[in-house]
Amino acid sequence: MTGTLPPVYPIDRIRNFCIVAHVDHGKSTLADRMLQQTNLVDPRKMRDQYLDKMDIERERGITIKAQTARLPYHYTGGDSHAGEFLLNLIDTPGHVDFSYEVSRALNACEGAILLVDAAQGMEAQTIANLYLALEADLEIIPVLNKIDLPAARPDDVAREMCSIIGGEPDDVLRISAKTGEGVREVLESIVERVPAPKGSPDDPFRALIFDSVYDPYRGVLVYFRVVDGTLTRGDKIKLKATGYENEVDDLAVHSPEETPIDALGPGEVGVLSASIKEVSQAKVGDTITLAGRGAATVHALPGYREPLPMVYSGLYPLDSDDFPILRDALDKLQLNDASFTFEPETSTALGFGFRCGFLGLLHLEIVIERLDREFGIPLVTTAPSVSYRVVLEHEFDDTGANRVITVANPQDLPTPNKILRIEEPTVTAMILLPNEYVGPVMQLCEGRRGTMLAMDYLTESRVEMRYRLPLGEIITDFFDQLKSITRGYASLDYERGDYMADALVKVDVLLNGEPVDAFSSIVHRDHAYEYGKGMVERLRELIPRQMFDVPIQAAIGAKIIARETIKARRKDVLAKCYGGDVSRKRKLLEKQKEGKKKMKQVGSVEVPPEAFVAALRSGSPKQD
Amino acid sequence: MDERWMADPVECGTAAGFGIYVHIPFCAHRCGYCDFATYDDQHDWIPRYVAALRAEIARAGGSDRPVTSIFIGGGTPTLLPAHHLAGVVDLLHATFAVEVGAEVTVECNPETASVELFERLAASGVNRVSMGAQSFAAEVLKTLERQHTAERPLEAVAQARQGGIDQVSLDLIYGTPGETNDDWEATLRQAVIAEVDHVSAYALTIHDNTPFGRRVSQGTLARPDDDVQADRFDTARDLLGAAGFEHYEISNWAMGSRARSRHNVLYWRHGDYLAFGVGAHGHRDGQRWWNPRAIAPYVTAVEERRDPASGSEVLTPDERAEERLLLGLRLREGLHPVDVPPIDPLALEDAIAHDLVQTSSGRLQSTEGGWFLLDEAIRRLT
Repeated sequence: MTGTLPPVYPIDRIRNFCIVAHVDHGKSTLADRMLQQTNLVDPRKMRDQYLDKMDIERERGITIKAQTARLPYHYTGGDSHAGEFLLNLIDTPGHVDFSYEVSRALNACEGAILLVDAAQGMEAQTIANLYLALEADLEIIPVLNKIDLPAARPDDVAREMCSIIGGEPDDVLRISAKTGEGVREVLESIVERVPAPKGSPDDPFRALIFDSVYDPYRGVLVYFRVVDGTLTRGDKIKLKATGYENEVDDLAVHSPEETPIDALGPGEVGVLSASIKEVSQAKVGDTITLAGRGAATVHALPGYREPLPMVYSGLYPLDSDDFPILRDALDKLQLNDASFTFEPETSTALGFGFRCGFLGLLHLEIVIERLDREFGIPLVTTAPSVSYRVVLEHEFDDTGANRVITVANPQDLPTPNKILRIEEPTVTAMILLPNEYVGPVMQLCEGRRGTMLAMDYLTESRVEMRYRLPLGEIITDFFDQLKSITRGYASLDYERGDYMADALVKVDVLLNGEPVDAFSSIVHRDHAYEYGKGMVERLRELIPRQMFDVPIQAAIGAKIIARETIKARRKDVLAKCYGGDVSRKRKLLEKQKEGKKKMKQVGSVEVPPEAFVAALRSGSPKQD
Repeated sequence: MDERWMADPVECGTAAGFGIYVHIPFCAHRCGYCDFATYDDQHDWIPRYVAALRAEIARAGGSDRPVTSIFIGGGTPTLLPAHHLAGVVDLLHATFAVEVGAEVTVECNPETASVELFERLAASGVNRVSMGAQSFAAEVLKTLERQHTAERPLEAVAQARQGGIDQVSLDLIYGTPGETNDDWEATLRQAVIAEVDHVSAYALTIHDNTPFGRRVSQGTLARPDDDVQADRFDTARDLLGAAGFEHYEISNWAMGSRARSRHNVLYWRHGDYLAFGVGAHGHRDGQRWWNPRAIAPYVTAVEERRDPASGSEVLTPDERAEERLLLGLRLREGLHPVDVPPIDPLALEDAIAHDLVQTSSGRLQSTEGGWFLLDEAIRRLT
């Protein structure tokens, strides 16, 4: 392609910024409005949430992948800076599952707009991302949105914001992204307050990858921010972490539609393609350098780390014939999502499937939804679990210390006599809530084995509570419970904490003496009975009667803690073939035979796959 | 596949005999559980229906194959005026080669019974009546929406005997919601006291497309419990067995083998039968066909001299094999080895190991315990 020539901006005329906001607080609307006010989008092509490209993003009102928009802006402010500026908006994901991606995108900016709904107030997710922005040393511009709403309480919310970032409530910008009121002032503030990027055009080229996206026609598109030096189309690049080397085929900026460009200098934001086949070759956080002599002496930008799954779940095709299709789908999905992992596993109950690792629950939901939407595979998913560190009793490593293994699937847990202790991942949870719900929320957190770390009043009526909680306790229905006991007013966010030991046991569920691996779960000893009882009762309801009595037991090791019995079936015959109508009877039997073929066999017990699905869908029993 | 079992049968298939089924689709009241082709609001059709039925029968004549049984079912055949009903039987005799001593059954509801009716039917060669008693417990009859009192069936049986009918069977239903063990035992005792020579006892089945089906799905009627029905089945076996009845088919008991319903046995032995009237199903050597369930299209077709059949199928050897088993194993006698279709030896071994079927007598038979689980046995064997 031939490069058109967008104007070249000197580094002191560039401002890179992002917007930190909670879902629904108007981030996408503000971005849309900025695109319009800088006349970048033809009004006829304007659509809501212009930057969110995936259907799932638009439907859920969330941003999963980072997007960028280059906004040329004529600054008319009173000072001597008046003139043309280049504002680069880097639209980041907002969810806790993607906090690493968020932190990289934040590192590509110098400033952040803290956008808060004037009616809703600060939310835990906003605060978590705000802390990430502060850690990245960004200039924060506080903005109150939706001031036109009748329920808006701008003064209260402005005070909440200032209690965290400091400053005067009167300095908080008040806008309505919907009507466009105040949006110009936001753009002016970006020019005035966000520092220009620092970087040297003469140093060796270095750029930060803050996102990479798979495109079926062009390979992986790498979103990057230049720190030092200049990149020109045709240059041969080398990625520090993965070692990938190739020539830059395409170089472009988004304004906001992709526009080719010949070269990008310090402080600029762009996208490149270099025949990269999968996103795992160009990971978020990696540093782009120029290949060739001297490449090794260029230091990587700080902060790179491998994506680490937090939540695991077994994915099985409902119809076992779909297994190869599922494998292909997971392969394809991994081309554009390097943060999710999978490896084959087998389950006696569910057949062949995959144990998949996700960054969090939202990530899990998104992957499953994409499998369904893009590949049309109906799935059975096992209850989400976490990865445990298991310290073995009689095995030692080279240093003489007890050997430690990682267990992501409860069925891989060694027998109790081999285990010295089990450690589980914890998180530091931040909960923001109106003060009248403090009591019930404390009760909930304590029921989930939480330890309170701090409790602060942001204002007289809004409280920030911090708890250390086992991750395994919050990936089931914790958020639903929290929402229900606070009538939807609480918000939650969390960050990873340390591994900690607790009295954890594996509860197995046995059908006619055979363990049903899909239902094994690692739970706290005090919750084991409840879990076991809930599971056996539910399975007794769901599993059809067999030719013989079938005991369903929950057990810790060899010890049975709960038991139910499915009584043998006694009747399975149509009493009458009326009026010589045998065809109907035969057709009914043939239908039943089709059903029988689909049955999953656990030992000698036949279980319709729907029974497993139903038992798994209702999730782990409540544990408080 | 060795298809000797089809070509050269000992008892089954063409060897089983040749029957005629005639359907009368009128009832004074359509009971809530009923999913048969029957109507309680179309009595205006009776004259045209009988005429159409006669025309259909007359046109089918010409076969000299001996007819071994005739069954006139419903609905309530005895709702027809006696001369209409007897006239149909007369026409069958005139049209087909009905064997001397052939079984000729008419279904009857107790409230329609009278000595005169039975005399008229007997004069036309009817020698067996199947009386729809269903229960002798007033509450159960009410639930089932039956139109007669608990006492009426005994009286009706006596009237049949008096009218010259040789064989009388009682139809019973068990496992109705609200029925107690005592109700069922009392009903069975009444059947014994009635001195009938045949009892049919069916577990109440709920069909989705009936008023009972809708009430069950709404939760206003309890779904019959499988365990209760299995208990009632056992009670019937014990009580009727002790009274001298032979349990010759899952739902049928006879006082001695001569009292078995030959027409029903024909069905279970995979035999051939013609079918006349709405909703009637016929079978001949692996071909099945059936008439429409609604009266108007049936009558119109016959009046326009068209074949009224609304559907048919030719069974594949596999389908015939499946039918042979699902029908034959309903009979205590089971299947003669020559009439047994090929079965996967492992499947047979499995069904025997689960005590569903046995071969120890040299025939393939259901076991006592496996009888009420016959569908499971068939799913394993085919």
